[in-house]
Amino acid sequence: MWKTIVKKEILENILSYRFPLFGLIAMLLIPLGMYVNQLEYTKRVRDYEEQVRLATEAASSLKLQDVMAGTVSIKGFRRPAPLSVYTRGFEGTLPRYYEFTQEGAKPGESSSGEESILSVQGKVDFVFLVQMVLSLIALLFASDVIAGEKEAGTLRAMLSNRLPRDAVLTGKVAGGFLALWAPFTAAFLVGLLLLILGAFPIFGGDTPARILVVFLAASVFLLAYFTLGTMISASSSKTRTALVAILLIWAFFQLIMPKISDMVAALVHPVRTETQVSLEKSLLAGSLGMETARELGRQYDLIFGTAPKGAADDEKSPERIKWDALKAGIEQGAKERKAQQLGAIDETYRQQKRRQQDLAVNLSLVSPSAAFARFVADVCGTGELERTKYAEAVQAHARALDGALFSKVKRTLMIHPSGGTSLGFSAQPVDFKALPQFTIAPASLADVFKANWKSLLSLAFWLIAPFAAAYVRFIKYDVR
Amino acid sequence: MSDKDQGQVPFEEEQMTDPKPILKADDLSKRYEDGVLAVDHLNLSIYPGEVYCLLGANGAGKTTTINLFLNFIPPTTGTCFINGIDVTKDPLEAKKYIAFVSENVMLYGNFTARQNLDFFAKLGGKTDLAKNDYYQVMHRVSLQEKAFDQRVKNFSKGMRQKLGIAIAVIKDAPGILLDEPTSGLDPKAATEFLEIMAELKKEGKAILMSTHDIFRAKEIGDRVGIMREGRLVMERTREELQHEDLNKIYIDYMKSAEQAAA
Repeated sequence: MWKTIVKKEILENILSYRFPLFGLIAMLLIPLGMYVNQLEYTKRVRDYEEQVRLATEAASSLKLQDVMAGTVSIKGFRRPAPLSVYTRGFEGTLPRYYEFTQEGAKPGESSSGEESILSVQGKVDFVFLVQMVLSLIALLFASDVIAGEKEAGTLRAMLSNRLPRDAVLTGKVAGGFLALWAPFTAAFLVGLLLLILGAFPIFGGDTPARILVVFLAASVFLLAYFTLGTMISASSSKTRTALVAILLIWAFFQLIMPKISDMVAALVHPVRTETQVSLEKSLLAGSLGMETARELGRQYDLIFGTAPKGAADDEKSPERIKWDALKAGIEQGAKERKAQQLGAIDETYRQQKRRQQDLAVNLSLVSPSAAFARFVADVCGTGELERTKYAEAVQAHARALDGALFSKVKRTLMIHPSGGTSLGFSAQPVDFKALPQFTIAPASLADVFKANWKSLLSLAFWLIAPFAAAYVRFIKYDVR
Repeated sequence: MSDKDQGQVPFEEEQMTDPKPILKADDLSKRYEDGVLAVDHLNLSIYPGEVYCLLGANGAGKTTTINLFLNFIPPTTGTCFINGIDVTKDPLEAKKYIAFVSENVMLYGNFTARQNLDFFAKLGGKTDLAKNDYYQVMHRVSLQEKAFDQRVKNFSKGMRQKLGIAIAVIKDAPGILLDEPTSGLDPKAATEFLEIMAELKKEGKAILMSTHDIFRAKEIGDRVGIMREGRLVMERTREELQHEDLNKIYIDYMKSAEQAAA
């Protein structure tokens, strides 16, 4: 009996005008989106490889004098994420590289600078299509699942038979969704075929598993929207009423809720801009540097003020030995103080930012659409997780470069109590060919699932709750 | 009410030779949430090979009675039995033994006649029918052959009604509920419809038909009952109606109802 309902539902959808229309939309947009993004990805990878080659050459031709002059800047590039063909996520807004200098790391330009003016309206990628287009189609497909039968009176005819209502509901949901899912799956597979034909690195590492997860997540997302539509349909006596409700709910989840989340979070947890923080850090670093220079100058004058001439240049003189120890102590103390105070500013900023982001994310997860987009972006390596990993990699690389390069050359600035200044250098040999390479540790699929438990919970909620509500409405429905 | 014309009729006494009614309403009442008493202590038994026509004005309780048999609404008091099964207690089992044709037969417009028939036949438990079986049934209800594989969205009311009957026929249930089936049909279609009813009756089906059509009720009904304000106020057998004017009886009842209301 259940199978009969499922088959009837599929057949009814196939025979309606919307099935070929949806098939056409899916077949055109999904593979086309994948193909265009693959071309872009290939171009970005070519650029990346060329830039890395140039940066490696530049690094190997560096000399110690360049480091002493403080003009060395080493770039660490981020490799474009292959699965950005499915969702661009932060791909366009993340810096393509970081520049590492003695002063620390600063972000380079992002690839969004090269994009067309039209991209402000959002890039057409797979996730965008699923989120904005297919979600609406799923709702429209579901709009008359129950209301249509009520309106046409066929529900009475059906229920005059030996047919449990739960079998009717589940059969209609299963059949209706299959009619939507089949063309979607076909379009996804055609897109995949285009990627394979375009020599996209589809079979490397865990890429096949990730693509499968993307597909499953999109299927679950569409099913969630379909059950949401079914709930509205079961609560409406007319398809037209259901359609109006569906459009309002779609607009709320897709357009309003994600934007409101950011606004509310910014109001509840205001955070300073990155520029303000950077300025504060620069001022503090300058002030600490001057303080250290003054202390060094004062101590230098105290030690060498009454010392015999030439004691400062004689490495074995007791004054010089005392000065070397004192200088090392002052510089070490200054370094630690600077690291601690700048670290405290960074930490405070990060905490404030995290609090704001957490609130925005938690609010946005009310929408299944945001939950889906966040999860898939992380699966594809273009989401929040990638941004965090990138930031961690930058910090780790800055430390590694400091140990292997920048700390090998020490510049000592002294401001003497008399008002005079002096600058001293000390340098150790550097192997410029063996400098650490910039790499970002990729997040495993397990990491992605762990980091996205809230998104997954939101999707599960939107899958189950509307269905449960539809079930209750339908069981209680007065079929007269 | 001892007068046969004014109250519930203990018709079962006359049918004691046939022990098992297919359709039975036992002291059935239905009061809606708004307080309207749609069916008031209705007792009714319809036996195999019998056609029972329920006459009455709009709102008399005919459709509510059918809805109660289909368990679309629960009774306030009393019970409906289909083939001896309490409809409220075991609605799914009871529906095995009943076929239903409504005033406007509701079908899937994008499906062909055969696809509609196939779907409803399967819902009715007929899962092993061949294409030929469907064609035979459609022939039997006089549906034109060219219409078998046409989408039903362009069907006339008469054609839809025939297909509705075909659905009931193919289910082969012992009881059939018809809710104003001849309403809106042209005379030829209505006559064809009655011919099919007569055949089904011969096959032993118990048929409950609500209708406004006094002429056809008299023609096809083995018994005719008149409902007013939820009560079965009159019942006549075919034999009794040969000596009486049903049209006059019906109009008299309607007039007396109007006078009572005034």
